[in-house]
Amino acid sequence: MLSLDTLRILCTSRASLHHSWLMTKRQFVYQTVTCAAHCMSTSFPKKDTWHSNMDLNALGKDIKRIYSTYPASSIRKYCTGQVKLNCWNCKQPLDTTPAFFCMSCKVIQPPEEDASYFKIMDCDVTFTLDTQKLQKRYLQLQRSLHPDNFSQRPVKEQEYSESHSALVNKAYQTLLKPLSRGLYMLELEGVRTDEGTDSGADSGFLMQLMEINEALDEARTPEDANKIGQDTKGKLAVLTEAIDAALLEGELQAAKALLAQMKYYANIEEKVKEKLSEFM
Amino acid sequence: MASTVANKCLSPLAFITRRFSAPEFITQCCYHKKVVDHYENPRNVGTLDKRSKNVGTGLVGAPACGDVMKLQIEVDDHGKIVDARFKTFGCGSAIASSSLATEWVKGKSVDEALQIKNTDIAKELCLPPVKLHCSMLAEDAIKAALADYRLKQQDDQQEAVRASS
Repeated sequence: MLSLDTLRILCTSRASLHHSWLMTKRQFVYQTVTCAAHCMSTSFPKKDTWHSNMDLNALGKDIKRIYSTYPASSIRKYCTGQVKLNCWNCKQPLDTTPAFFCMSCKVIQPPEEDASYFKIMDCDVTFTLDTQKLQKRYLQLQRSLHPDNFSQRPVKEQEYSESHSALVNKAYQTLLKPLSRGLYMLELEGVRTDEGTDSGADSGFLMQLMEINEALDEARTPEDANKIGQDTKGKLAVLTEAIDAALLEGELQAAKALLAQMKYYANIEEKVKEKLSEFM
Repeated sequence: MASTVANKCLSPLAFITRRFSAPEFITQCCYHKKVVDHYENPRNVGTLDKRSKNVGTGLVGAPACGDVMKLQIEVDDHGKIVDARFKTFGCGSAIASSSLATEWVKGKSVDEALQIKNTDIAKELCLPPVKLHCSMLAEDAIKAALADYRLKQQDDQQEAVRASS
């Protein structure tokens, strides 16, 4: 019987081989640990020591030792990296993740708490996204999950339907726009934008933003406003490509800075729309 | 007044109805009247000549919400702030915070202006927690303007020293 410590080490090593582009190892290690806990048992006495000893270099040495002392068949048996849940109604195991409905009894399941939006919308975790495909998936999901379909069902199912529908809405809105999509991708890696002032912001850049905003404020004709709108769109397109490249390379801090720039320009784009509507 | 009376009458009903919203909650999700006042009647909007050696310019941005704020101060020869102007592109709370900041710095010395805290601004405008970063932005703008003024004064002094030697 493999010890709990050994199991954690094994799961981490195998998982990290598959997902080498993820920069923040800590969050990822945490996910595999959680899976291991679910696989094995409910009691987890050494959890705290594990979280404080997350030194993956030291683990590397341990991995070599374990592979040589334990037979290969027992290693493969335990490490799946997937959480196995059962249907609350018929108790059959749920095969798919995310599992919206049970395969056997077709009853709606509760939404997974930490399911990634990308997984829900069946998209790859990339910055470039096919918005048509996203929209199709959104409509397909809402057709089956919307609370209107559950008005005659028990309260428990109605509540699950409401939660699912709300979650799908949130996932769709987040992934639809490049800015929110990029920020969500950073969030998945544990990188958050700070609420405070941007002390690292280039004053030249801020000056430029000021000038664009002032010009927009003073625009007296729709043509003037449109010109600013077109310039902003161009800048956003350049930023989108740069963010895509940064995220593919795993350069999270660079992506964060670029997304901050995108936020400023996105605000200007909103103001252009407001200005044009004033002219109408 | 009316809201507390309404609340007293309606609070027993709160136990019965599941979805009940008290009147006082509704007022809390709007902008405070002080913020609306600063938004509709902003004080000190404009620009000062940033090339002047008596003018300090602070330019700050908040990446989370995309607000941009410029605050300028004009300081006399005795180190007292005689004029202040601002230009902010952002939400109502950001505009109100910077408007209030320009009101407060006027008449203060450079050292006194450094003491202005974002908590004072937030308290004065009754900003909700979600808008506290706007008052932080205003405090940073004041500090940036003062720092810029100090830098210009230092450069000026260095030039004077070089000229005399």
